[in-house]
Amino acid sequence: MTSPAKPAPLTAPRIRTPALDPLLTLGVVAFIAALVRAAFFTPPDAAQGMAQKILYIHAPSAFTALYLACGLVFICSGLWLWLKDERLDRMADASAEVGLAFMTVVLITGPLWGRPIWGAFWTWDAKLTSSLFLWFVLLGYQILRGAVEEPQARARFSAVLGILAGCLVPFIHLSVYLFRTLHPMPVVLKPSAPSMPNEMLVSFVFSMSAITLLFAGLLRARYRLATDRAELEHLEARR
Amino acid sequence: MPDNAIYFELAYAATAIVLGGYIVSIFWRARAIRARLLAERSVEGR
Repeated sequence: MTSPAKPAPLTAPRIRTPALDPLLTLGVVAFIAALVRAAFFTPPDAAQGMAQKILYIHAPSAFTALYLACGLVFICSGLWLWLKDERLDRMADASAEVGLAFMTVVLITGPLWGRPIWGAFWTWDAKLTSSLFLWFVLLGYQILRGAVEEPQARARFSAVLGILAGCLVPFIHLSVYLFRTLHPMPVVLKPSAPSMPNEMLVSFVFSMSAITLLFAGLLRARYRLATDRAELEHLEARR
Repeated sequence: MPDNAIYFELAYAATAIVLGGYIVSIFWRARAIRARLLAERSVEGR
């Protein structure tokens, strides 16, 4: 004799909380370790004082926002226009949002370094103004994606804007060479050897690696969110 | 050496708030989307 089937539970199934992404967890731990190393185990600069330590966040965040995030947005947007693969659109979306977060860090930490060193939080020179412009483009990208409901049109419009954001990056990079700006020349990412003492260079490379790892973790978590959202849109459209 | 530690402390605190807030926002949005997805899937399954 077979036993009767268990009755269905009366309550709705409990929503499983998204598990902590191991890559994101590793990125957060590495980032905290990099902050602690820069703050407590790296000597301050004799001329600039403790404010010089802002460099360990500012420059790696700028590298991540400009070259990794905007580079990925540019490549994925261009490839989407060619291949029309929705995974490319989702990757561009995720990368643009993570890039906006890092660009926000750049635009907060930069003025906080500028005030004690230049005597001003902000100056409308080419590097700073073009960086602010890129921040607005990335913000506009997010607003555009929220405003267009039709997935194909949203992907097409945001791909064009993503390519424009990517085109700004070489201009921002070269602006210190092309124009007279207050912004310092690169001290590490330059053709010649880095002009930085060894102890500071180790902290800088550690910060750069930690922030790159954090970017990878955030990108993966945000890409998964975009995938779930796309599936939800698909299910809702079928109803 | 100039005494400007307050700017460095503000910069590190602001970075922690921006990136920490962003991580929390991803977590909460993922949770909300997953809840809606689960509800949609159960409707589909009926």
